[in-house]
Amino acid sequence: MPLAEEAIVRSEVRWAAVAISVMSVIMLAIIYAGLVHHINPPSNIETIDPKTLHLSGEFTEANLGTRVAADGRVTSRIVATQFTFLPRCIVVPASRPVTLRFATPDVIHGVLVTGTNVNTMIVPGYVSQVHTEFTRPGDLLMPCHEYCGLGHSEMMATVRVVPPERFKPDAQGRVSCDAR
Amino acid sequence: MTHARNLTLAHLWIGFIAFAIALVLGVWQMWSRSPLPAPFLTASTYFSSVTAHGTAMAYVLTTFMIMGFGYYVAETSLARPLPAPRWAWIAFWLGVVGTVMAVITIFSGRAAVLFTFYPPLVGSVFYYLGVVLVVAASWIWCVLMIVAMGQWKRANPGRPVPLAMFATVANAVMWLWTTAGVAAELLFQVIPAALGLKAQIDVGLSRTLFSWTLHAIVYFWLIPAYIAFYTMVPQAAGGRLYSDTMGRLTFVLFLIYSLPVGIHHLLMDPEQSNAFKFLQVALTALVSVPTLLTVFTIGASLEIAGRLRGGRGLFGWIGALPWERPLMLATGLSFVMLGFGGFGGLINMSYGMNAMVHNTSWVTAHFHLIFGGTVVIMYFAIAYTIWPSLTGRAAPSLAAQRTQLWLWFVGMLVMTLPWHYLGLLGQWRRVATFNYADPIIAAWGPWVIVSLVGGVLLLVSGLYFVYNLLQFAVTREAHVPAVLYATAVHPPARVPAALNGFRLWNVLVAVLMVLAYGYPLAQFFVIDPPGALVHRVDQRR
Amino acid sequence: MDADPRDRPFRLWASVAILAVFAFSVLFGFVLLPIIQGRAAGIDAFTSICRALGLAPGSPAAPQPVSDAKAHPTTRVAWSAGLMDSLARPSAAGASLAGACAACHGKDGRSVDPKLYPDLAGQSAAAIYKQLSDFKSGSRKNAVMTALAQPLTEEQVVALAAHFASFPVRPLPPAQVAAPAAAIERLVARGDPARAIAACNACHGDRSGGPVEAPRLSRQSTQYLAAQLRAFKAGERRNDIYSRMQSVAAALEDSEIDGLAAYYSNEPL
Repeated sequence: MPLAEEAIVRSEVRWAAVAISVMSVIMLAIIYAGLVHHINPPSNIETIDPKTLHLSGEFTEANLGTRVAADGRVTSRIVATQFTFLPRCIVVPASRPVTLRFATPDVIHGVLVTGTNVNTMIVPGYVSQVHTEFTRPGDLLMPCHEYCGLGHSEMMATVRVVPPERFKPDAQGRVSCDAR
Repeated sequence: MTHARNLTLAHLWIGFIAFAIALVLGVWQMWSRSPLPAPFLTASTYFSSVTAHGTAMAYVLTTFMIMGFGYYVAETSLARPLPAPRWAWIAFWLGVVGTVMAVITIFSGRAAVLFTFYPPLVGSVFYYLGVVLVVAASWIWCVLMIVAMGQWKRANPGRPVPLAMFATVANAVMWLWTTAGVAAELLFQVIPAALGLKAQIDVGLSRTLFSWTLHAIVYFWLIPAYIAFYTMVPQAAGGRLYSDTMGRLTFVLFLIYSLPVGIHHLLMDPEQSNAFKFLQVALTALVSVPTLLTVFTIGASLEIAGRLRGGRGLFGWIGALPWERPLMLATGLSFVMLGFGGFGGLINMSYGMNAMVHNTSWVTAHFHLIFGGTVVIMYFAIAYTIWPSLTGRAAPSLAAQRTQLWLWFVGMLVMTLPWHYLGLLGQWRRVATFNYADPIIAAWGPWVIVSLVGGVLLLVSGLYFVYNLLQFAVTREAHVPAVLYATAVHPPARVPAALNGFRLWNVLVAVLMVLAYGYPLAQFFVIDPPGALVHRVDQRR
Repeated sequence: MDADPRDRPFRLWASVAILAVFAFSVLFGFVLLPIIQGRAAGIDAFTSICRALGLAPGSPAAPQPVSDAKAHPTTRVAWSAGLMDSLARPSAAGASLAGACAACHGKDGRSVDPKLYPDLAGQSAAAIYKQLSDFKSGSRKNAVMTALAQPLTEEQVVALAAHFASFPVRPLPPAQVAAPAAAIERLVARGDPARAIAACNACHGDRSGGPVEAPRLSRQSTQYLAAQLRAFKAGERRNDIYSRMQSVAAALEDSEIDGLAAYYSNEPL
C-alpha cells in the first residue's frame, strides 16, 4: 500500500482547509447576525452595589416593573433575589423594542424567558440588560436558571406579552399585571 | 514496568470507585427531577448530591484516571522507570486525603455550592481544601511527567519523543496553565472567605478566573481519549497511524487554544464585554480544528486497517474492521457521540444560539454526552486494554466488555438526546423539583422519564464495568503482552523541536492569555466593582 | 535547540494564525460591529466602541435607558463588609445596654413572655440588627419598640445585636408535641414549586446560604411566628427587603401558617 508522505501531508492540509472553512462560515454567520439583526451577547458593564441595591433609586421597590419613558421606550426593571423575582409578573407589549434590566442584592441568579432569546446571568455588582422584541402575545415562564441556593427550584416569574393595542400605561407610564 | 503497575492500579481504582458512587447519585438526581416521587428528597439533599456528583465526576474520576494512565504511558512508551516514584505515591495519598475531606464535608451538608463553586455562596473551608489537595497532587504528577520526558530526551538526543508521551506531557503542561485560574479564585477569594477573613467577594472576578479553568479542563479530560485514538486504536485495528506529525500538531493545538477561550462560558454574563467575547469566540472556532483534524486522521488510519483486512469500496473497509475488539468498538461508539456532542458545541459557541440554550438542559445534556459519552467510553476501553498488563491476566470475556460498552452508548443516547430536546423547550438547570402541575412543564414529564431510563442503563453499565475489572482477578489465563502502541505509516526519524518540546508553545500560550484574558481580568482592578456579601452554606444563622 | 531551522515554519505559521485571529477579532468585534450597529441606532462611533469594549455601560446597538426614579426604601439598613465584621464580634457595650431590654426579652435573651416578645438568645446578629434598625427608622412599627429604638445610635444597635446573638438558644420544652403533618414538613424542606414558595429552610435553616438577615426561627414562640406571618400576609409588616416574606406569606393558607409556626417552635436544633 504505497502511501507517500507527501500524499499524506497533502490530504491533511486539504482537510485542514475544509475544517477552517467550516469554522469561518460559522464566524461569518455570527458577524452577519451582529450586523443585520444586531445580535449581541448581553454584555453590560454597569456596576451597582448589591449591598445597598434596595436603597437605590432605579431599583427601589416602587420603581420595579414595566415603565414607558417620556420618549416612548419601554423598560422593565426586575430584581432577582433569594428566592423570588420582584415583580413576579411583568407586562410587556408585543412587536415593540423592550429593554429588560435586572439586578440582584445577593448571589448569582440568571433568567431565561421560554420561547424567546432573552437569556442572561444576573451577577451581584452588575446591572444585566437585555434588548429584545416579543413577537407573540401570551404568558411566558421566566425561571431563575442559575443555582442561587436551596430555594432555586421554586424561583420563577411570569412575562405577560400583550398585543400592542392592549398595552396601556398609566399616568406615570407604568403597566402592571394586577391592572388587568 | 517498574513502578507504574501499582501506581496505575491504585489511581484507577480510586477514580472508578468515585465514579460508581457518583453514578448512583446521578440516577437519584434524575429520579428527583422526574414526575415520579423520589425518596430522601429535600432541597438540601438534592444540592449536596449535585455537588458530590459533580466533584466526583469532574475532579476525582478524571484526575485520578489521567494521573494513573500517565504513569502507565510514561513507563511503557519511554521504556524506562518513572523518576521519583516516591513523589508519585505522595501525590496519590494527597489526592486521596483531599477527596475524602471533600466528600465528608459534602455529605455533612456543609458544601452545597456545586462543583463550580458559585461564590458568594461559600461552604466549609474543608471542601475547598479537599479540592486544592487533589489539584496539588495533579501538579506533582505534571512535574513528574515533564521530568520523565526530559530525562528520556537527554538519554536519546535528537530522537522524537514517542507520541503517547509527547501528548501526555502536552496535557500536563496545559493542566499547569489551566489550574492557575481556579487556584487564584480559591486562594485569593473563596478560601479567605471560607476562613472568615473576607466578608465580601468580587463575583465578576471569581467567575472570570473560574472560566479560565473551565474550558481547558475539559480538554485535560479529553486528551487521554485522544492519546488512545492516536497511539492505541490504529494498532488495535490492525493498521497504522496515518500521520504522526498531525498527531503532534493536534496536541499542540489543544495546548495553545484550550486556554484563551474560557469566556465562552460567560457569554450570557454582563461583566465581560462584547468585544472580548467575540475574540474568545473566534479562538473557540480555532479549538474546534484539532478535533476535526483528529476525526480525519483517525478515520484515515482506520481506513488503512480496514483495507488491510480486505475491505473494498468507498465504505466497505468500515465493516472489515475488527469490531469484536473492545478498543475498536469503543472508538466507533465514541465517534458517533463525538458527532452529536461536537455539533452541540458548535451551537454553544455562537452567542445568538447560545442565548437559546444557556443554562437549559441542553447544556447539561451536551456535557454529559461529550464528556460522559465520548471521553468516558474511551476511559473504559483504555482500562480494558491496559488491565491485562497491569494484572498479568488475560481478559476473561471480551463479550462482557463489548456488552458493557454498548450499554453505556445506548444509555448515554437515551439519556441525553431527550435532554437536549427539553433544553430547547426551555427546561432550565439545577432544579430539585419541577412543578408538573404547570401545563408547559407537564409536557416535559414523559421525556424526563425517558432520560431517567437512560440514566439507569448508565448505572447498570458503570457497575458492569467495575465488575468486568474485578473479573480479571478470577480468570486463570496468563497474559501474553501484545504490542500496545501504533506505528505511523511514515515513522519520523527526526521531528522539529517545535513538535518534540513545548518551549515555543509556552510562549504562545502566554501571549494568547495576555491578549485574551489580560484586560478581561485587569478590568476588575481598574473598575473595582462593589463586592457581594458572603453567604455561608456551612454555618448556623 | 532554539535555533532549529525546521522550527521556523511553526513559529511563522503560529504567529500568523494568532495575529490573524486577533486582527480579525479587533476589526470586527472591537470596531466594525459596534460602529455599524451604533449607526443604525443613532449612536456615535466612539460611544459604540466604548460600549463594545465594556468601558461604558450599555449596548452598542441600542439606546441606554435612563432612570430618574427616586428611592423609596422599605428599610434603611445598608449592608457592608465592615458591618458584617462588627456584627460577628460580641461586645461588652452590648451587655451594658441590654439591661433595658431585659424587662421583655429577658436578661439572657430568653423572653419573659414569648407569645408577645420574641426570644433574642442565639438569634442571628444580622437579623436582630435589621429589625432594631427598622424600628429605629420607622420601617417597622411597634409602639414599644419604636420608642426604645429611636434614641439608639448605630454603634449601640450593632452592639446589642452582637450581644444577644452570643447567647445559647432556649432548650426545647419537655412536653410532647404531635408530629408535624407531612405537608408542613414538605413546605419546610422542599417548598412548593406550584406556588413558587421556596423551602422555608432555604432561607431560615442552618447551612442554607440564604439572605443575611433571615432570622433563625427555631424555638421562637408559635404565637409570635404566626403573628408575624399574618402581618406579612396582610401587608401590615413591610420591612422585608424586596417583599421576600410578603410574597411567601401571601401564598400561604391560614392552616399552613399555624402549622409552620408550630413546627419551628418545636424544632430540634
